[in-house]
Amino acid sequence: MSLRPIATVAVTGLALAALSHPAVATRLAGFLGEAPRRALDTDRLLALAVQHLVLAGTGLALVAGLGIALGILATRRGGAALRPAIDGLAAGAQAVPPVVVVALALPILGFGGPPTLLALVAYGVMPVLRGTVGALETVSREAREAAEAMGLTRRQILLSVELPLAAPGIVETLRTALVLAIATAAVGALAGAATLGTPIVAGLQNQNTVPMLQGACATAALAFLGDAALLGLATLARINRPRT
Amino acid sequence: MRPAAETDGKRAGPGWRGLPAAMKGLPAVMKSLPAAVALAWLAALAAALIHWPLLTMAANRLVPGVPVTGGAALGQVLPAILALSALAAGLLAVSPGRRAGATALALALAAAGLFAWGLGHGAALRMAGQPPAARAGLGAGAWLAAALLGAALGLAVRRCRRPGLGLVVVGLGLVGLGAAGRAGTFDALSLAVEYAARREAVHTALVEHLVLAGGALGLAVPAVILLSLWRRGQDAVGIVIGGVQVVPAVALLGGLVALTGGLLRAVPSLRDLGLSALGPVPAMVGVAAYLLLPLWRGLAAALSAPDPASLDAARAMGLTETQILARLRLPLGGQLLVGALRVATVQAIGLATLGALVGAGGLGRIVFDGMAQFAPDLILLGAVPVVALSLVAERTLSALEDRMRAGLPA
Repeated sequence: MSLRPIATVAVTGLALAALSHPAVATRLAGFLGEAPRRALDTDRLLALAVQHLVLAGTGLALVAGLGIALGILATRRGGAALRPAIDGLAAGAQAVPPVVVVALALPILGFGGPPTLLALVAYGVMPVLRGTVGALETVSREAREAAEAMGLTRRQILLSVELPLAAPGIVETLRTALVLAIATAAVGALAGAATLGTPIVAGLQNQNTVPMLQGACATAALAFLGDAALLGLATLARINRPRT
Repeated sequence: MRPAAETDGKRAGPGWRGLPAAMKGLPAVMKSLPAAVALAWLAALAAALIHWPLLTMAANRLVPGVPVTGGAALGQVLPAILALSALAAGLLAVSPGRRAGATALALALAAAGLFAWGLGHGAALRMAGQPPAARAGLGAGAWLAAALLGAALGLAVRRCRRPGLGLVVVGLGLVGLGAAGRAGTFDALSLAVEYAARREAVHTALVEHLVLAGGALGLAVPAVILLSLWRRGQDAVGIVIGGVQVVPAVALLGGLVALTGGLLRAVPSLRDLGLSALGPVPAMVGVAAYLLLPLWRGLAAALSAPDPASLDAARAMGLTETQILARLRLPLGGQLLVGALRVATVQAIGLATLGALVGAGGLGRIVFDGMAQFAPDLILLGAVPVVALSLVAERTLSALEDRMRAGLPA
């Protein structure tokens, strides 16, 4: 695949990151007619970004591990019975937006990172699971039967036929999950998690535009850069994107 | 927030392995429930009803409560609920038929009704003689049991294979709960106490929420139609509205508030039109931005639904493009359009919750108030209607979708 789409995503991310720099954001707010107020300095912004990444990264790792493993289980022999349950759960989970999950987890887990992490996992697992099942289903029966006829064991079929053929679909699912993880970590600021959502929420409450713009641009930058990194990794692993 | 699943999983996937050959190609609902799944369901329900806290008794609305489990909360109806549920699960496991489905549906409905009544009654008994500040909240077991009973109801409804039955059951359930609530069955439950104290605020928030979600849809639908009329720019449109999905909603709303503020300073006369930097307009625009992608994809898929041969035939017959649109593309692609509308509606209802962040009101305000006060029941008071609205929208539109799909030539 060509590198152009990745470059576009990465450049968008870098541009947004530049916008979140205190000097640029102050000037931007001035252009919008806001009185220049105290901006977040680079150190604080970076610290928030790192915390944001740690939270979103942990959530993504949990979601990807659980979702893909369960997706593989559901497509094994005997897993077919679980299919209606999976579809039902996925539809149900869709109806509960992440901010509501964060809110509901708050009384149980208290303020800070844990409710955000729970929301991330609760909201992210079903789409990844369903995406993995969908990707594994696109593997043609002929390919499986050919592998079986060649004498491959079930484990070998999974590792060297099904997963490589399903990889592009799984990468697409993980991209969705990554964006979801970064968005949910930002919402987590409402539950007291220190992320890039914190300056946005505080800025909205105090009518302080500069930190709000900084937080918004930095969060969006993180999402675009993460997406570019995932696409880059997929290219390195020679996984072709499906044509949409 | 990107749509978590843009595809719908209702199409039966090809090639599920490990099934007897005769079963392949049958949708999953035609097969009876495996005994192991039925047993696991029953075991989970029993655990939720007997071991998990059904009610939590607290001295006031903010402190954590003392759990009340099993018979202590439900009293005499507990064995009846378990027996009815076991019968329903057994029927669903034994036979895939319609009659068994209908009987199981009746049994599960009876179990759910008894469960709701038992909780309300148990809470009333426990609350008798308590100071007015005391609260009886619903525990984790109650929510788990409700979800499990809901799943069984859903399966039984599908087993009956009657289009629209699901909506009838949901409507019946809501009317039943409403009537029981009016009669005072749930008065002792903390959620009802919270609702009674804020009836007006909840109703206003519900209306605001619907206006926000509806307004966002109202903005997004014409925008998507205009965008797809621009034939040459489809690649650019795809990149831009795909890019919007990557921007977290909290960030987009924050950015929009700043932009609206700047716009108002540049053109102050807009203020007279009722536009303000904090309020429903930026929230609607922000939510609408996320609805563009599913709607745009759905519209493109719907317009290309007829195969090229049919299009050629229509043109050869001398039909104009407008006639082709009205007689060929829309009838054939209608269910795809409804599917896209379903995804967008569910997203709009969920995203509108965040509107409260930028002062647009809606049910999100109740949720955020609850978070600020650390009051679980207040959070639930906002969250339950959001979830209920999304589920109702999802079910209604997917029923419409199924009906349109059924009307298509195979």
